[in-house]
Formats: sequence, C-alpha cells, structure tokens
Amino acid sequence: MGSDLDRQIQTLLQCKIITEAEVKDLCLKAREILVEESNVQRVDAPVTVCGDIHGQFHDLKELFKVGGECPKTNYLFMGMGTVARYVFSVMLSIEIDLPGDFVDRGHHSVETFLLLLALKVRYPDRITLIRGNHESRQITKVYGFYDECFQKFGSANVWRYCCEIFDYLSLSAIIDDRIFCVHGGLSPSINTIDQIRTIDRMQEVPHNGAMCDLLWSDPDPDSCTGWGLSPRGAGFLFGESVAKPFLHNNGLELIARAHQLVMEGYKLMFDEQVVTVWSAPNYCYRCGNVAAILEVDSNLNREYRIFKDSDRSSMNSRTNPQREGPPDYFL
Amino acid sequence: MTDGINHHREGLTTSHHDWSMLQVGKLLENQPIVIISVEDASEVLLKNGVSSAPIYDSGRKMFIGMFDYSDLMTYILLVLKKMEVPLEDQTMEMRDLIQKTNHSQNVPVKLVSDLSGNDPFCTVLAETKLGAVVNDFGTGIHRVAVMDSQGNMTGVLTQSLTLDYLMRHLSEFPQLQPVMQKGLQQLGLTGIKVLSVTGETQVLEALIIMSTNGVSSLAVVNDQGVLLGNISMADVQYIMKDLRTSWLWLSCFQFVSKVRLSRGVETGEDQYPVLDVNAKSTFGYTLSKLQATKVHRLWIINDTNHVVGVVSLTDVFKVLSGYIDS
Repeated sequence: MGSDLDRQIQTLLQCKIITEAEVKDLCLKAREILVEESNVQRVDAPVTVCGDIHGQFHDLKELFKVGGECPKTNYLFMGMGTVARYVFSVMLSIEIDLPGDFVDRGHHSVETFLLLLALKVRYPDRITLIRGNHESRQITKVYGFYDECFQKFGSANVWRYCCEIFDYLSLSAIIDDRIFCVHGGLSPSINTIDQIRTIDRMQEVPHNGAMCDLLWSDPDPDSCTGWGLSPRGAGFLFGESVAKPFLHNNGLELIARAHQLVMEGYKLMFDEQVVTVWSAPNYCYRCGNVAAILEVDSNLNREYRIFKDSDRSSMNSRTNPQREGPPDYFL
Repeated sequence: MTDGINHHREGLTTSHHDWSMLQVGKLLENQPIVIISVEDASEVLLKNGVSSAPIYDSGRKMFIGMFDYSDLMTYILLVLKKMEVPLEDQTMEMRDLIQKTNHSQNVPVKLVSDLSGNDPFCTVLAETKLGAVVNDFGTGIHRVAVMDSQGNMTGVLTQSLTLDYLMRHLSEFPQLQPVMQKGLQQLGLTGIKVLSVTGETQVLEALIIMSTNGVSSLAVVNDQGVLLGNISMADVQYIMKDLRTSWLWLSCFQFVSKVRLSRGVETGEDQYPVLDVNAKSTFGYTLSKLQATKVHRLWIINDTNHVVGVVSLTDVFKVLSGYIDS
C-alpha cells in the first residue's frame, strides 16, 4: 500500500492524474478512514487552517511552500471548493482566439482533490478535510467539477466516486476545544456543538436544515438582528448577536470559516471572534486578491500568513482579462 | 425557528399607519438616476446593475420610453429573424428597426424602447399613494417612473424596491400580518402549470418560448421534471456582456452553469443553483426570500423537487392589492 500510494502522491504532485482504477481504490481506502471521523472532528494544535482552494493546484503547492509540507505541518482544510472554472475558461479562449495551452490554463479541481485525499489516506492524523458547499452532487454538476471529471477520465465514474467520498467528510472540526472550524457558518437550528454531533451527515447536502446551513451560511457584520435569509438562496446570514452567544455557550474563542472571497486573504469580524480565511490567491486568475492560511501553535496563538499566486498561476493570469478594480467584499 | 423575517430593524417608528397610503416619492429617497443617451444602452444597464432605464431624447428634451432586457431580447430575436411580427401589428418605429437590422445599420436605442410590448413606460406623480401603484404592479407593470410637479423625473419605483421597503418596515403595517401567515396554497399560487424547458433545450429556443408566451422566465428541469435552475430574460445581459452570442446555442443547463460561474467570480460568493420555495411555506417567508435573494420570482416546489407553481413579484402585488382598505 505504502509505495503505491507514495507513487500516486508523486504523480499528483506533478499535477498529473492517476488512473480511474487507482481513484476507485483510493476512495475505498479514504472511506474507511473518514467513516470513523466525527461530525465535529477533534484536531490537536499545532495546526494550519486553510480555506477554499477552488482547484488552483499550483497555488496549493505555493500554500505548502508557505505553510510547510504535509506531514511535517499538520493541516486542516475547510472545504476544497471543488469548482472547475475549466469549461468556462475553455469557452473564453475560443471566443477571443488566444494561443496557448488551455488545458493548463483551466483549473485542476480533480488533481487538487485527489492529492488532498491521497495525503489524507497516507497521513490520516496529519491532515483533516471537512466538507464545503461545493462537495455536493448538485453543485458539482452546475459548477463544472462533473465536466472536468468527464473531460479528464472519459466517463462519470470518477465523479461518482468523489461524490461518495464527499458524503463521508466531516461537517466541522474543533481545535483543542477552543477553535471551531466550519466551511460556511452557523445555523438557527444549532445552539451547541453537541447538536452538530447528532446530525446524520452521510448524505447529499440537503437544500435546507442544519447540515445545509453549516456549509452555506455567512456572517453579516451589518446585521442588527440575529438571523436573515441568505442572498445565496441557502443558509442564513448571522450577526454578532448570534455569534457571540454561540461562542460563549460553547466555550470557544474563535470561529474560523471560509466560503467568501476576501481580498486581503483573511478577515476578522465581531471583535476578532469570527474569521474568514480564503486560500485561493488571484481567484480565477483575475480577482487580484491575496490568500491566507491561519497557523495555530500549541498554545493556540494565531498567526495569519499571506501568500500570492504562484509563478505558474500568474502566467495564466497575464492572458486573462483583469477585472476593473477589486471586487467588494460581498456579504 | 426563525421565519426568516427580521422583526427588529433600526430606525423604526412605533406609529402604525396604512401602508397603502404611503406617498410613492418617499420610497425613492436617495435614489440615483441613470439617464442614457440613445447609444450604448445595454452597456449602461450592465454597468449600473439595473434591469431597465428610462430613455431620454436630448433633442426633444423628454423621456420617451423605457429600455429593458425584455426589449433587448426581442431585438435579438428580430435580428436573428426568429420572430415575425405581422405587418398590421408593426408600429412605425418597429418597421424602421426591422429595416435597419436587415441592412445591418446601427440601431438607435429609441427604436428598441418598449419594443417587447410588455411593461410600457408609465409615470406617476410623487404624491401618488402606494396602494394605487401596487394595483398596477399586480397587473404586470414592473416599474413606474416617478415625476415631480415640474415634470422632472425623480426616480424609478420598481416592484423590487417596493417589496424591500415593505419588508424592512413590516412592523409598522399590522394590516399585513394576516397575509404574511397565509400559506402559498391558500393564496392559490400552487397547482398551476408553469412553463419549463429541459436542460437540453437550446438557449435561443428558450428565449423564443419566453417571447412567444409573454413570460419573463422558464423553469429548467431534468428529464424527470426535477427543478435544476432558471432561465430568464434578464440573463440576456450575460450574452450581451462581451458579446458572447455563441452562448445562444448552448443548452439551457450549460447556460445556467456559466451564468452561475460568472456571478460567483464577480460577487466572490457562489449562489445556490435553484432559487425556490417549498409549497408549504408561508407568504411571509416567500417574501423574505425574494427580498434576500433579489430575484423576481421563486419557483414553488413540492417535496420531490418538482415545480408546482411560481411566485413572481407581480403575483406578490396581486395578492397585496387585495389587502388595501378601499
């Protein structure tokens, strides 16, 4: 097992795909590990917490350069963002008639996901993966991951194997009982961490309810009330008056989450008790944002490391039209 | 459990009054006006993130109509010769437009103004009572231009703006409480056949279906009839942006995907692919979701995700106009 897996990891590290049979086998092994994990997976500090990667493979490698290689560094990924802007970028290239290798220009959600999964199987105690809103059948069909799998493997099989694995991913993690990590945010149906433990998570992400909210909600610094319906059409907006009691009642000092693009890489809210961490620099090769990771040491001290897109990625961005100015941090 | 309605908002008065007696000018405080010349119309809609704009003829120094995505879509279909308008139904402007498109001449936007025949240019004075405008909204008029006593336009009052205002001040209007608690079925909004297309249908064909049937959107369903997404006339903006006319020949599902991807990059947050509400929801919850997501309609689904109705802003105001004390 060990040498085969190591070889697969080496292949994936070069942004090359492994065979469909290898993917199937990898997923079977991953399932055995993930099924044992809790809805609120306990993680020991020190650990480095990361946000959405969104298939930006070369920037993931940049992240490993900045944060340290796995397994030397203990990692927690708050969702992978298995989105592929791949199909979108290929269409764009046809329209504006640019030369170049468009397969590379696209995104690598498959390679990114398989690499993280392989690392999980190889070093199960050194990397924690929790589910994001994109790790879902419905979302991956609309946001391109299905198409990417089909293009790269010639059938829907790999997509199906990956979706089955998504169902086994934990919903959240807790670092030393003090730092709660979840992809989206809070839910009006959840007041305590224990309530999260009672959710039946091994299913497709529902359209509403607690499990959906954890993966879709956003904090709303402008909220004067507790809860509001989300402009996304799933999950809720939650304000300080909801976040602070949740933290207090559950003995937490911080909620770390991802799910929203942050130009500065990370953003603190609610007296620094909630933080959004975004780990995809220069998002879609045109947003011009930096990325961040959160390093938590064994005393739970926190340090944010900022990084920019890799040279390989910035090559792609030079031929993609730049946005007019930075996007607003959107709530 | 929350009903989704924010019950305590800042800046509320505690005095209760009749919502239908509000003067419409009040709802437009601080609204910037987008005025366009006859060129570059859809560029302006895009840049300003609005779905319609009044057209000002600087020669005649007056507002001559509205331009919106419905008009733009009709124009595209005419250009592509996918629409035939019988000679006796053609206005002077329409004949001029058809002639110009046949000869590939640049088309001034005034010829495209109010082209769709839906939603003509309506004006009201700022003192007009909201109840009157809500009645109009319930018949399918999407927005009215509000004028002051000198005939200057002070702004455009849309269905969306009105809904947002009412929801933010809901606690001041106790007469609306009963209707908020009513179910969608009670209000007769379910059990209606809605127009839909399968994910495989071409976008161009979907636009033709919308135009022919005089609807502004279609449900996109899979071959089992399960709701996958939505295609509406406002999506035409994504085709006009960077002139991606090749998108007209994509399947509706691919189009929905591209629109979602595009929006996700622009806003920095991805939206749920389907915007719907369960048939068992209350009217109040439905309005909150319309307000939060800023869409113009929500598909009503049953527990198996099949579409059983639709609630558009027009439907909302039709219901509300029944609650005006005459």
